[in-house]
Amino acid sequence: MSIKIKSIITALAFASSVSAFAADTIKIGVSGPFTGGSSPMGVSMRDGVKLAASEINAKGGVLGRQIQLVERDDQADNQRGVQVAQELINREGVVATVGYINTGVSLASQRFYQEAKLPVINNVATGSLITKQFLPPEYPDNYVFRTSANDTIQSSMIVEEAIDVRKFKKVAILADSTNYGQLGRADLEKALAAKHITPVAVEKFNIKDVDMTAQLLKSKEAGAQAILTYGIGPELAQIANGMEKLGWKVPMIGSWTLSMGNFLDNAGKNGNGALMPETFIQVPNTPKRQQFITAYLETYKPANGRIPSPVSAAHGYDSLYILAAAIQQAGTTDGVKVREALENLKTKISGVVTTYDHPYTHDNHEAITRNMVVMGEVKDGIVVYANKADEKRK
Amino acid sequence: MQIFVQLVVSGIALGMIYALIAFGYQLTFATSSTLNFGQGEALMLGSLVGLTLVGYMSYWLMLPLVLVFGALQGMFVERVGVRPTLKTKSEFGWIMTTISLAIIFKNVAENVWGHDDLTFPSPLPMEPLQFFGIRVLPMEIMIVVGAVAIMLAVEIFNRKSIYGKAVVATSNDRDAAGLMGINTGMVITFSYALSSLTAAFAGVLVAPLTLTGSTMGVVLGLKAFSVAIIGGLNSGLGVIVGGLILGIAETTTGYYLSTGYKDVPGLVLLLVVLAIKPSGLFGKLAIKKV
Repeated sequence: MSIKIKSIITALAFASSVSAFAADTIKIGVSGPFTGGSSPMGVSMRDGVKLAASEINAKGGVLGRQIQLVERDDQADNQRGVQVAQELINREGVVATVGYINTGVSLASQRFYQEAKLPVINNVATGSLITKQFLPPEYPDNYVFRTSANDTIQSSMIVEEAIDVRKFKKVAILADSTNYGQLGRADLEKALAAKHITPVAVEKFNIKDVDMTAQLLKSKEAGAQAILTYGIGPELAQIANGMEKLGWKVPMIGSWTLSMGNFLDNAGKNGNGALMPETFIQVPNTPKRQQFITAYLETYKPANGRIPSPVSAAHGYDSLYILAAAIQQAGTTDGVKVREALENLKTKISGVVTTYDHPYTHDNHEAITRNMVVMGEVKDGIVVYANKADEKRK
Repeated sequence: MQIFVQLVVSGIALGMIYALIAFGYQLTFATSSTLNFGQGEALMLGSLVGLTLVGYMSYWLMLPLVLVFGALQGMFVERVGVRPTLKTKSEFGWIMTTISLAIIFKNVAENVWGHDDLTFPSPLPMEPLQFFGIRVLPMEIMIVVGAVAIMLAVEIFNRKSIYGKAVVATSNDRDAAGLMGINTGMVITFSYALSSLTAAFAGVLVAPLTLTGSTMGVVLGLKAFSVAIIGGLNSGLGVIVGGLILGIAETTTGYYLSTGYKDVPGLVLLLVVLAIKPSGLFGKLAIKKV
């Protein structure tokens, strides 16, 4: 009996390995939350990646082979993310992975890519620590790359907007209790300290909290002129709605989660005027952006013609183009070679966010710099450019 | 002072939600000494069904339909999960069966309504009313009024009607009530129907203020459970007081202590009550004769 089972297993294993050769595709993992509170970002990111993959495949693929995406829902859960990483690496045999929306999931999972020497491109997660987890001398080579604006950039922009542009002296920080919120809060405090300002209130809330009265009243009593936020859509909407309830309206300035669809929908008119750093706003002000927006809307038909999270879609799209260019340049799917190619990309890649010209070096794994980020503002349920000058700048 | 009052007002609205769900725990415990650990899920299902119905009709028309749905759902839980374990006199079987049913309901809801948090249209204007500088949402007033109304209705039913007397008799002594010709099995089913009905009602009451989604019941159900323990599992007044204590404790400690610790006082209170008065603040001490 056991011999029979063994032989069946061997046969199956052999068959699957044969079919893998026969398909001859390049497998690329996509990991993100496609369900739950951060799903607008996860789904937009995935759809952006899929859009790029179908465009690349239509033009003949990479190295003459088609790209095959292996999408997995990490549910914004650290443990689940680890399982997904192991499955993608060991069972699916991906050559690289793009994705990660949640900083916590990313920090927990990417160790496996580092150990397997496979590149992983974070296309939405923003925690400052993400690209600094595996640095020399302990790790001679770092396999973690990023195409999104990290929290250091975002928090300093939030603080600049509040303190330098709007001349506020007293600000309150409201951040959720997740890794994302608390690392962001630390970045905000650091950026404020650099301007010799101490926040008048630093408050915390949990995911699924329905009442923000205490946090808002504390900020109000402390005389806050603006609220700086680090959280995700649904709870940020509770903050905006809570302010309306208390009849206290000060500007909300926060990380780019303020552009998430579930913030815009659930806050409604109370969300108007919220400001956030953005690398991409759904406005067709360059030919590439025009083409991207049209293709996205035609393919996925999102409700009200609004990409659930435009930033995530754009970075997802760009991340796959960068990865494909690196594989093409390396001439192989070997992880070490692809990493080396990423660190020295010779072709200029015209992406949605920007044109990437040598985005990475051996010691710099951040593609986005401060000058590529602009301020967005919520206006009647959509995000527009806060400064008209940015819109004209290509 | 004004701030304190504002916090208390917000706490009362929050507390009444807890109280209403806790009331559901108390209803089934009275008749059968079992609890439906899927109370939070009953609330979630009620509010999601309400959200679907509200697409076709007005909020007020939807309310009775959701109540009927809640009652049916409660009867289902009792028939499938609780009755078999009561029959076999299993002491703790119902704990696992109600928890499993809760998980099944949650998975069903995820598949039907998705994983996202959805906005529930409010039947009342969302502009706050002002009383002496205290701002209250019309929906918050409706929660308090609605919760008190349905609890009063159930209490009056139990005290005045002949069917209610059967419920009371069953709570006092199930075996004796059975010998007096009361169909205790029916009474227990009825209490489950009533319990899920109040939970579904709580669901459509809170949904316009919070968001609706398959996970909304987990936290609320758990907090309501501690309210039921604090107040006493066999006291209607106890759950109201317990709910108010927990709700106000949450908002005020959030303000005066730290928002990072806002869940702590409620849990500390729970531990203190269990240590000093294990049957709850208003609970009657049950002496089990062996």
